[in-house]
Amino acid sequence: MSATANVGRLLPGGLGYLRPPAEIELAAYGVDLRGRRVADIGAGEGRLALGAARDAKTVLAVDPDRTALGRGRTEATRRGLRNVTFRYGTAQDLRLPDRSFEVVIFSWTL
Amino acid sequence: MVDALEEARRILVDDGVLVDARPDSRVSARVRARSATGRVIGTIGSQRPTKSDDTHSDHAVADVLRRGLFTSRRRGRLWHAIPFEDAGELQDYLDDHLRFSHRVRWRVPRAARAGRLFVERAVRFEVLERR
Repeated sequence: MSATANVGRLLPGGLGYLRPPAEIELAAYGVDLRGRRVADIGAGEGRLALGAARDAKTVLAVDPDRTALGRGRTEATRRGLRNVTFRYGTAQDLRLPDRSFEVVIFSWTL
Repeated sequence: MVDALEEARRILVDDGVLVDARPDSRVSARVRARSATGRVIGTIGSQRPTKSDDTHSDHAVADVLRRGLFTSRRRGRLWHAIPFEDAGELQDYLDDHLRFSHRVRWRVPRAARAGRLFVERAVRFEVLERR
């Protein structure tokens, strides 16, 4: 994987869409999610988690906002996604097993 | 923040990757006229507390790299365009924003700010590999 910067890509947005579309943001990272176990920490309503679910084996979305988690679950159901799980938690105390994910995402989290 | 990075490392397999992506407060957002590629007619900085928070985050990432917990595989920046119907709608957005300054630094007179505007915001990311 290249260590060079990927500067200057312009992504679409919108008022109801204040963050980049998940598939475009994930593609910019250049991380292959196919068949991987992915944890999206600080997932909110699961914008990225739901996008990652298309390729990943499983996606765990973690957030301390139970309302946001509920919205994410509803959206996952609406999309028919069965490989996404939403779970309450904080980045500092995940209460997950050691070495259980190939990819962890902190998007707008640190 | 270091504790969050250490917790992420704990749940990652060997050679697993952590993606850290955040708005880039080191770079002012650009206000473009009429389209996402239109002329830059203003800029928007970040609030001082936001810059401070981002510096702490940067230091946390530097700390785990220095300690050999992760290595940096890739870093970059992308730009995210957000459309607004006019300057009034943009100001409403900025009034409540937690990161952006609440005022645009305009480069053009008021008459030249009419119509749709696009705020082009920098997002930086780094892909870290667990060691």
